[in-house]
Amino acid sequence: MRVPFFKMFMTSPFEGLQEHAEKVMECALAFQQAMECYFEDKCKTFEEFRQEVTQIESQADVIKRRIRGHIPKETMMPISNFLVFRYLREQDGVLDAVEDTLDWISYRSTKKVPPELKKDFALLVDSVIDPIEMLSTMVAEAREYFKTYSEDQRVKVKDIIRKLRQQEHEADKFEDIIKKKVFNMEADAVTVFHLVRLAEIIGSIADHAQNAGDMMRAMLSK
Amino acid sequence: MPQEYYILIVGYIFGFYMAWNIGANDVANSMASSVGAKAITIRQAVFLAGILNIIGAVFIGSHVTNTIRKGIVSTEVLTDPHLALIGALSALLAAALWVSFATWKSLPVSTTHSIVGSMIGFGIMAGGFSVINWGKLAAVVISWVISPVFSIVISFFMFKIIVKLILSKEDTFAHALKLSPFFIGATFFVVILSFLFKTPLGKKLVVGPYVSLLVAVILSVSFGLVGRKALGWFIKKREGGAEAIFKRIQVGTACYVALAQGANDVANAIGPLAVIYFLVKTGSVGGSVPVPIFLLLFGGIGIACGIGMAGHRVMETMGKKITTLSNTRGFCVEFSAATTVLVASKMGLPVSTTHAAVGGVLGVGLARGIEAVNFSIVFKIMLYWVLTVPAAAVTSMILFKILQFLL
Repeated sequence: MRVPFFKMFMTSPFEGLQEHAEKVMECALAFQQAMECYFEDKCKTFEEFRQEVTQIESQADVIKRRIRGHIPKETMMPISNFLVFRYLREQDGVLDAVEDTLDWISYRSTKKVPPELKKDFALLVDSVIDPIEMLSTMVAEAREYFKTYSEDQRVKVKDIIRKLRQQEHEADKFEDIIKKKVFNMEADAVTVFHLVRLAEIIGSIADHAQNAGDMMRAMLSK
Repeated sequence: MPQEYYILIVGYIFGFYMAWNIGANDVANSMASSVGAKAITIRQAVFLAGILNIIGAVFIGSHVTNTIRKGIVSTEVLTDPHLALIGALSALLAAALWVSFATWKSLPVSTTHSIVGSMIGFGIMAGGFSVINWGKLAAVVISWVISPVFSIVISFFMFKIIVKLILSKEDTFAHALKLSPFFIGATFFVVILSFLFKTPLGKKLVVGPYVSLLVAVILSVSFGLVGRKALGWFIKKREGGAEAIFKRIQVGTACYVALAQGANDVANAIGPLAVIYFLVKTGSVGGSVPVPIFLLLFGGIGIACGIGMAGHRVMETMGKKITTLSNTRGFCVEFSAATTVLVASKMGLPVSTTHAAVGGVLGVGLARGIEAVNFSIVFKIMLYWVLTVPAAAVTSMILFKILQFLL
């Protein structure tokens, strides 16, 4: 039996956002392992991890499309659907940047990072792993806030957003250091271009995470 | 046995069919939030809804019956008993058929609107357009708009209050327990008042409005305090927070809705049946005849049967569908819907429980209480406001012609 009363209740887009955030977190591990492998001299599993990330990305894409396709115009939510879409775009941007990083490496996978830059790159990668993982916590805590509207919970989410911002700042610093070093290195132009661009793409992961945080901040505004 | 008695029997059958439909169609509105929020099980919901619909129908429900019958269509149409009989029969069947169709097609129509529409159809056939009391009809139409709005306002503020005073606090359990007498008391207050005002029970007790107000205040305050004691005694674990408290309170509000529903909706089935009954028994039907208790009981039982037979399936669906509703939200929805329906039915306005329930959900949604609500149902409801009355009216007119030919 179908009852009109039920039609009012729909699957919450937050559920989708959470699922998507978990996919993002899932790929953080594969990304980290791929990068570690890349920094090592004898790396055989890089391509495997890259494939894994690609796979996760396409799964996340399905979720993204599902969210976008299932918010009718008349949907009433605690926040505007515009913000949901913008947030989703940034969260998806994190995933895309992760995938781009690995793709970029794969174009020139035989050439390794020069030994003198390894440590800096490792620091840069470390600084973007946390933001990737933080997103799913942020979504979960935000959902909790929309359940209770308690100020404590709001502060919790805002703390995560602040951390995302700090992490982005960190990542920026490492990115700058790498770029400066690369340009002062005795290397051919192709290597310089590849390394600079690599640092930029890795850095952009933190950028997108921060943007997602900013969107979340807008959702929290009273 | 004269032909009239056959008609009376047919009338009973149609009346029962209509009541059955009301039960099957509206049970979701009263129990959905409670079952969805896991406050009660499906079996409990079916049982409670059945019993309380009967109680509501018998003890609170006589006033509206009169209004629908004599308000919208002038009593002129009742002067020819034969036509009046045919008319009441066709109105009853038309409304029941339309509600059946709507339930099948999942259209957001109201049983109340259906009976109003079919009564209008009957009026037009029996006495032409002049017998329709347009002023009264306009008042009815306005009340359709008012009831969801009223319900939205109540649930909006109720949820805001709960957020402000309970959910946003650190120890939600303690705050919820502290304020529980207010929520319990408010529920009892409206129920007690509606028992005392304009019901056979209230008339027997012969108490003035001030006395009943005083009685209601005293009773609801004491019920509220007793309720808090009971809650504190029953719930030992504090982990559930406010939701655990409201889970128990919701059992009460679910009953509240069922009661209000019985009181309000029984008239839709019993109004035309009462006309038939009086025509057959006395040969004529006057301006205002009190509806006998046993007819209300008959209607209540019909609704309960509808709930009993269809309720299980409906509620299984909603247990799965409505997972986003927590107990505090469910409480707001139910409280606002039942209060709207009871107050309106006491004022003699034919409101729809469906619309009141929808209004309750939207109110919580507007208060940012639900992650996602499909607002589009509002536009659909508006569309069916416009459609239900003529559709039921035309069906009723056609049935009138057929029955006139047969009888």
